[in-house]
Amino acid sequence: MDLVKTYGNIIRKNLETHPVAARRMINVGLSLENLRVQAFSDKRMPKASKELNSLAVNKIREGLKTPEKTAWTNLFTPVELLQCFDLNCLSVEAVSSFFSGFTIEDSFIRYGEGKGLAPSLCSYHKCFLGSFFSGVLPVPKLAVTASTACDANFNTFRLAGKEARLPVFYLDIPGIRSEEAVDYVVRQLHALLGSLEKLTHRKFDIDLLREILQRENESKRLYLQFLKKKAKKAWPTTLTLQMYELFATHLSIGTEESLHFFRSLCKEIDHMPDFHGKRLFWVHLIPFYHPVLKDALNFSDAFQLQGMEMNIDNTKPLDLKDPIRSLARKMIDNLYNRPFEYKEKLVLKAVQHTNADGVIHFCHWGCKQSIGGVMLLKEAMKKAGIPFLILDGDGIDRTNDTPGQIKTRLEAFLEMIR
Amino acid sequence: MLYYICKYTPIEAFSAMGVQIERLEPEVSSFPKADSFLHPNLCSYVKGAYELCSQKAEEDPDFEGVVFTTCCDSVKRLFDVLSRKYPNKFWFVLDLPRMGNEFAAKLYASRIRACLSAYEEFSGRTFEEEELSTLLNRNKEPDKAVVSEPGRLRIGVVGARISSHLRKLIEDAGAELLFDQTCTGDRLLLPPEGNRPLLEAYAYRLLNQLPCMRMAEAVNRDPMMLPLLQKADGIVYHTIKFCDNYSFEYADLKDRSPVPLLALETDGTTLSYGQQRTRIEAFLEELSPKKQKHNRKTTGDKKMYVIGIDSGSTSTNAVLINEKLEILDFRVIRTGAKSIESAEAVLKSVLKNAGLQRSDISRIISTGYGRVSIPFADKNITEITCHGKGAHFLFPEVRTILDIGGQDSKAIRLNEKGEVADFVMNDKCAAGTGRFLEAMARTLELSIEELGPVSLRSREVVEISSMCTVFAESEVISLIALNKEQADIAAGVHRAIANKAMTLLRKTGLIPSFCMTGGVAKNPGVIHALEQQLGEKLLIPEEPEIVGALGAALLGAEDLF
Repeated sequence: MDLVKTYGNIIRKNLETHPVAARRMINVGLSLENLRVQAFSDKRMPKASKELNSLAVNKIREGLKTPEKTAWTNLFTPVELLQCFDLNCLSVEAVSSFFSGFTIEDSFIRYGEGKGLAPSLCSYHKCFLGSFFSGVLPVPKLAVTASTACDANFNTFRLAGKEARLPVFYLDIPGIRSEEAVDYVVRQLHALLGSLEKLTHRKFDIDLLREILQRENESKRLYLQFLKKKAKKAWPTTLTLQMYELFATHLSIGTEESLHFFRSLCKEIDHMPDFHGKRLFWVHLIPFYHPVLKDALNFSDAFQLQGMEMNIDNTKPLDLKDPIRSLARKMIDNLYNRPFEYKEKLVLKAVQHTNADGVIHFCHWGCKQSIGGVMLLKEAMKKAGIPFLILDGDGIDRTNDTPGQIKTRLEAFLEMIR
Repeated sequence: MLYYICKYTPIEAFSAMGVQIERLEPEVSSFPKADSFLHPNLCSYVKGAYELCSQKAEEDPDFEGVVFTTCCDSVKRLFDVLSRKYPNKFWFVLDLPRMGNEFAAKLYASRIRACLSAYEEFSGRTFEEEELSTLLNRNKEPDKAVVSEPGRLRIGVVGARISSHLRKLIEDAGAELLFDQTCTGDRLLLPPEGNRPLLEAYAYRLLNQLPCMRMAEAVNRDPMMLPLLQKADGIVYHTIKFCDNYSFEYADLKDRSPVPLLALETDGTTLSYGQQRTRIEAFLEELSPKKQKHNRKTTGDKKMYVIGIDSGSTSTNAVLINEKLEILDFRVIRTGAKSIESAEAVLKSVLKNAGLQRSDISRIISTGYGRVSIPFADKNITEITCHGKGAHFLFPEVRTILDIGGQDSKAIRLNEKGEVADFVMNDKCAAGTGRFLEAMARTLELSIEELGPVSLRSREVVEISSMCTVFAESEVISLIALNKEQADIAAGVHRAIANKAMTLLRKTGLIPSFCMTGGVAKNPGVIHALEQQLGEKLLIPEEPEIVGALGAALLGAEDLF
């Protein structure tokens, strides 16, 4: 009997009638998960990965337990500013992924659809809104969302914010790189800081921000170094852990914990043996629950995941002289904010940097910005002679999955590059 | 000749150059090119736009290109792919701010300037600010609103862009299209104000139209929306498959709208025209002022007969009633290749059985998918209104009807008087319909009649997670390979149907009592699974397949007596 599933079923039974009890059960589940990974996890899991696991699980736990100290964000919100006010950042993607981990994502998704959300909408957003509408996800202090990458960012927060009477801040990030555009964003960031000061009754400390950005720069440097080392070394990993890296590279970037994790990564990989199988680079989200992909890739000696492009969407160091301006520039320069051509170049560069033998692109249900360009990416990879596989599926929703198709496509691809 | 797709496009600036610029309006039946160069799950309008643009780029010498904005993720990729495939045409994407303040206007003005320069270079034309200024100053607020024709229903449309076809459909169905506030609907741009440079003042006006859902300013839609909606008798809230922006507003508005709201999703192809028509007509029927029930005219000794015919995708059903509203006879036959032949056959069979002639029948009302193709019917009424009528007649306490037929499923909510208050239908796909069950029964090597009773013997919970008929079939095959019991798999199939139906029911508000109609209501397995999820007993008519035809006959009788 699958324990997680059984537990998930118990939570599911409480969702509609006892949302608060369900939330408590989720929290208990998260504590157990922490314990399980520390004590009983797979022997092959590196210590740094256990650290990463705690970082991710604790973030969600805090968000559920102390909503008054939490901000809803997306992956592209300048979390560095929120950290200056001691706010814990919880993104749509993170929340929904954890509910999927408990196998209860479909209940929330159906709940959201019942409210009138489009079935074709991204399941991360549907699950997030469904969990909020059903009362399981508690109302935070505020929400800050950036327009980068995804149309749903503004709409999801607007809808939830209205229902919860929650202050929502929208950051409009232009798709053009110019000083005028930077000015436009800087102005918005200053306005946000003003509101944060009022809401938290705290003064903004620019030196604190500098410290955060310094840790961020160091973290990014270490991460690129780690990826370079991984080009040769073995690094046993799982789909889930690969996704967890988004906590370190985005939601917690600039914190002590996150920097500590990157240091551990770089240190530990030096002691790893060389890897002799085939290396894969991943583009877009990973359906970490997927039985076929888990079987083929988790802790595999034959295939190793080298990284995913979301984790390196912006690795340029930030200028500490003018921290607000550099944050504005960071957002404008983000991979997802630029023409698609830039993504093609970045993936090619990453493939070289990590010595990957092939690229897998996952077309997540409802994510138009990524799936719309997949054929362009395919052409670019073909030109460069890099094997490229397209998988279609859903990042979290098990009921929207096509396991047979994914199995055939994946196995044929792995046979091809072996 | 240039095209545009977004209302924030500076079309007046191009007109000022003497360029013909038109709204891009694809009418296609499928997306062969878009599915291979973009992705099948992209917004259907954008896929249609790709088909049209690539055809024009290849065949039409007058086609210069398209001016895009970064209005949504799908359009951004549409631009990326088109500009790569046809580099000789003019493709320009204007980076569109999401705010409407003066800083955003300044930023947008410089993008507009860049776009105009690029076009000057491409075409050899020149842009003159003066021309634009003259053109913009000609725009004025319209005089008093046009007076509506009394008695004609006034319909407003909001949400995602609608096609000219849909506009026409609403008018052809007898309603007045009062306003079209979808994203490229009625356009009114007042002359620029203030001392700012012209392009900035123009950009400011552009950015301050009724904000579309991608704008940060969309928070301001809410206070504008309710007074707008109030002007109409009913609102069509339009969404496009795989364009999700407007479903957020629909979710927010649907329970607060001051007037009835019809959610209408289209998929950008001409194939859904039939379904669009059913929904619009049913909506107008729902809105039409209900006739006061006058005392029924006594018909004396004279007998009167009315027949309702429901021409569905799987079966064609007929019900014969008399002036006392008694059901004298009914027939259910399988729909053949031609719906008209089945309708004729069922009519003949009812007449023969009742010993009546065609001339004895006072009225024939048709309903169902094939309702418009039955020439001998006196009138056709959508199956939604008919199911409502029929179910209310059988069970006056019913407030929610779930009708699962061969190719579609619907949930209908009735008010206390038994009139349709709201309804939702499934999308075009067969998930959760009778066809789904037929496919599963076939895979399990059971007849459709056996599937239900067999499933009731289930002891172990087996899950069918996929809703898609094709993939669920392969799931069932894998379960058979795993030696799972036939009964357990069948029960899993029924739970999958029940899940899908629950989503529909939730959208209409889950108000008891519930009644189930349509052929699938004969399956005790589905009923069991649904009752478990609802926590309520379902009312099941003795003959669930004939409820639509019965409703049609009753509505025909109302006209007469």
